[in-house]
Amino acid sequence: MNTDDFEKRLQRQPLREIPAEWREEILKGAQTPRHSSSVTRHSFLSTLNSKLSTVLWPHPKAWAGLAAAWVLIVAVHFASSDPSLQVAKKAQPPTPEVLVILQQQQRLLAELVGPTMPREADRPKPNTAQPRSERRMETVCA
Amino acid sequence: MPDESDLQRLYDEHAQALFAFLLNFTRDEDDTRDLLQEIFTRLARQPGLLRGAREERPFLIRLAHNAAIDMMRRRGARQKYYDQLADETLTFFASAENPDEAEFRQSLSRALAELPYEQRAVVHLKLWENLTFDQIADALDLPPNTAASRYRYGIDKLRERLRPLYEEIK
Repeated sequence: MNTDDFEKRLQRQPLREIPAEWREEILKGAQTPRHSSSVTRHSFLSTLNSKLSTVLWPHPKAWAGLAAAWVLIVAVHFASSDPSLQVAKKAQPPTPEVLVILQQQQRLLAELVGPTMPREADRPKPNTAQPRSERRMETVCA
Repeated sequence: MPDESDLQRLYDEHAQALFAFLLNFTRDEDDTRDLLQEIFTRLARQPGLLRGAREERPFLIRLAHNAAIDMMRRRGARQKYYDQLADETLTFFASAENPDEAEFRQSLSRALAELPYEQRAVVHLKLWENLTFDQIADALDLPPNTAASRYRYGIDKLRERLRPLYEEIK
């Protein structure tokens, strides 16, 4: 099959005609004024949409990849940040009423438990005689 | 608002071409009507829109192309829409009295619907709008070499698909 003949054959196929009644409808619809605020809002939105479409559409996969990378970065950031810091940031300073209640609870606890005994670690060590280390002497002799 | 006669002139000179291009894209007469209305409303409300255009036809084709892409995006995924298009059998050629000719047009319409949109748009603009590859590239926002290769791929597929029928009625 000759390519030129084939293309010419396709070119000769008459396309469908546009319906005649559309002319008046479309031109009338195009000239009909709309409410000014809705025109402004629509034209602003459509302009924004059109600009964004022009910028984003040629490489949708690239933009989707970039968006995914940002989501990943944000997720990693939140996962690696210190949660106690966030809790501390979120915590509100206690109100005076809460402070009073806490003090009352501490007082009540102290009355119930009695005088607090020092813990094992805090207790002073008995002052018993310990053998002296001879390491220093060994070092000097060596 | 531009002069009413100017809008009428634009309609008379370009509406048929835009109609055919959009019908080939959407395969739906109602959608084509909506898109045409959108384009002419935009032309009426933005008088300076055509001021920077070197040639009116490629510029208007570009407007139509962008409007159709926007519509397609509003409706969902691009591929899904292509799949839907491929199933539709709307003919966008004039009806023919000769049965062989009518069958050829029907087959051509179906074969066109099976082409990827990128190839179909270039084939349409080259064959039925007689645009050069530079003009097509300008209208569809792609390099001229890409337009040429898409045309070649599209024509090869059509030739392959229509070969038996074409040989028969040649």
